[in-house]
Amino acid sequence: MLRKYIHSKTTLAFLFTALVCLQSFAQDWDIPANKKSKNSYFPFTKETIEDGEGLFLKNCQSCHGNLGKDNSLKSLKPTPPDLAGAKTQERTDGDLFYIITTGRLIMPSFKTIIAEEDRWDLVSYIRSLNKKYIQVLSKNDPSKSKLVVVKMSFDSLSYKLRVDVKANEKEGVIALKDAEVFLFAERYFGRLQIDSTHHTNNDGVAFFSFPKDLPGDKNGNINLVVTVGDEVYGEIEAAKSLKIGVPTDKPSLTEKRAIWNTVTKAPIWLMLTYTLILLGVGAFLLYIVFSLMKIKKLGKE
Amino acid sequence: MAKNLDMLEQTKLDKITSDLLRHIRMNKSFVLWLSFLGLALVVCIYAYTIQLKEGLSVTGLRDYVSWGMYIGNFIFFVATSLVGMLISAVLGLSGQKWAAPLARIAEFIALAFAAVAGLVIVMDMGRPERLLNVMLFARIQSPIVWDITVVITYVAISALLLYLPLIPDIKMCADKLTNIHPLLRKLYRILALNWKGTPEQAKLLKKSTRILAIMIIPVALAIHTVTSWLFASTTRVGWDSSIFGPYFVTGAFVSGAAAVIIAMFFYRTNFKLKDYITELHFDKMGKLLVLLSLVYLYFNLNEFMVPGYKMKKFDAIHLRELFTGAHALLFWSVQIFGLILPILLLFFKKMRKPAPILIIAIFVILGAWFKRYLIVVPTLEHPFLPIQNVPLNFKFYAPTLVETMITIAPIILVLIIITILSKLFPIVPIQETIEHLEESKK
Repeated sequence: MLRKYIHSKTTLAFLFTALVCLQSFAQDWDIPANKKSKNSYFPFTKETIEDGEGLFLKNCQSCHGNLGKDNSLKSLKPTPPDLAGAKTQERTDGDLFYIITTGRLIMPSFKTIIAEEDRWDLVSYIRSLNKKYIQVLSKNDPSKSKLVVVKMSFDSLSYKLRVDVKANEKEGVIALKDAEVFLFAERYFGRLQIDSTHHTNNDGVAFFSFPKDLPGDKNGNINLVVTVGDEVYGEIEAAKSLKIGVPTDKPSLTEKRAIWNTVTKAPIWLMLTYTLILLGVGAFLLYIVFSLMKIKKLGKE
Repeated sequence: MAKNLDMLEQTKLDKITSDLLRHIRMNKSFVLWLSFLGLALVVCIYAYTIQLKEGLSVTGLRDYVSWGMYIGNFIFFVATSLVGMLISAVLGLSGQKWAAPLARIAEFIALAFAAVAGLVIVMDMGRPERLLNVMLFARIQSPIVWDITVVITYVAISALLLYLPLIPDIKMCADKLTNIHPLLRKLYRILALNWKGTPEQAKLLKKSTRILAIMIIPVALAIHTVTSWLFASTTRVGWDSSIFGPYFVTGAFVSGAAAVIIAMFFYRTNFKLKDYITELHFDKMGKLLVLLSLVYLYFNLNEFMVPGYKMKKFDAIHLRELFTGAHALLFWSVQIFGLILPILLLFFKKMRKPAPILIIAIFVILGAWFKRYLIVVPTLEHPFLPIQNVPLNFKFYAPTLVETMITIAPIILVLIIITILSKLFPIVPIQETIEHLEESKK
């Protein structure tokens, strides 16, 4: 039994190592065809490039360097490419969007950190130095996404969140089939993805199992965000606050008086000690000065 | 007969007064020495203007080692200034009469080093014009704020403790010195505060001096303990130690005592004070230095033995660097030539004569300076998170020439202050010497 256990553990470890090696040796990105052909539904303009540049400086420049300067961080393996270089520019917009979204090896995923529209702004900035680049717009009508209604409902028995995605077309309500649905909970930094990515069924419904121990605010509220990606309707985001978390009341670390807090929240004992010592020493020094004045006065008589 | 004796007595007192006032005059060697110091200071100030213009990049300081020679220098200055408290307060209050002629030398050193210490910190700032922000946005929880408070207090008390016992002597300067500039005489008159030596005046002065002498003990302990907390209140290896306060204070006494011995030697030979600063004083100071060094050695043993026995992961990196690594030569030189050998040598009476003890004191004070360097730099070279993706000169600290000159500047400034003070005021307290003479007769 024990031997078998050890055996299976070593095999697992071996497999895992092999997998990691394989992955790091894989030279290129494995991008699904439908992602490759994805395009921005808004045209790239001066404004999108400017917005993209701001995001680039914050999130990308530290490793990739400046566009066209070939000053990326060469000590990293694999080396992050200069994004104005030929290799990057030969890729489709969909490729770039996918790479930013999912990440690979040391390239982080920005799926939960940068919103979709902003990720397209980044692509527009990366394209900005390429004079040969001609943008291909998404065939989707961006106004169509406004027709979509996302409903979230929670079933406390099965602890599942039900997401209904329907579009209010003129001819009636249509369920979005096989649309990609992500569920996130908002937190201090970025968003936390809950469960894995699901696709809607024929009724336009997706179910997410929800963890029972997710901390909420004082009353147990959690701000949920659902993003839906559909071939025809584009990207849709919906938010809702639900009372399904564990009520958590942790005062902020900077709320009480503490040694690490700002000066206005300094510990009282410290302020008292400091002031008393200063006053004490000051009183003695004043006494000395008065004595000197007295000595001077005595000498005059 | 009695009249004769009185006259003899009077001539003796006159001789003491004239002996002890003799060095207060301008002479060639003084002008030469001061202009040499002035010239050296100008060169160093030029180096500082380079730093002001270019920023701290002209130094060896980088992201990881951001405290280098400057901060080492700062601790050395604060440390050396502590001796004023030891000699004029601790020895004075405990009735060690032999130390009385040395009190003023110790006070000169204390005032000069403490006053310049603040300047050393400003020199470590890349943007000194923002100095006021340190006060405007001060956090009372920060040991740096406590440090600024105690350093200022210590400078004030040291200045008063120097000034108060000087008042009767200043009166003598005003009355008895011939050939001085009228303006200087006026200054003496003002500083003498109408001193007549009446019993009321004497009583007031004695009481005030006593209060200051008592008050300076906790303040001096606080100044160096708080300076040690600048380090000990972090979690860094080599600094995270609960004995850093006493470790710093004893180390401070060692370097201060050495500074007093060096100053004694030069005043004794240059100011012809052989009758007042005698071999007995060197002998006693030698014994004091041994005692202080032994206590310091004991703290060193604790500071290295305890973490060295356990060799915790990060402690081990730090200690290996000191014991056998890049800093080993400096570390062992400081411990052997600056601490162990001086202790062994000073056990012998022959070594406590003026000339040999001067050489020993110079080694001790050099050791004390490099010891501060070893406290500051090696720790910073080994942060808890590994140093990655930085140029080579971020990893190892190497001071530059400009930085070295800026480090020397405050030392020159201290020498200038001490030189000028000793040309303005008697270096051996005249009034006290006469009082002691009269007391010994009773």
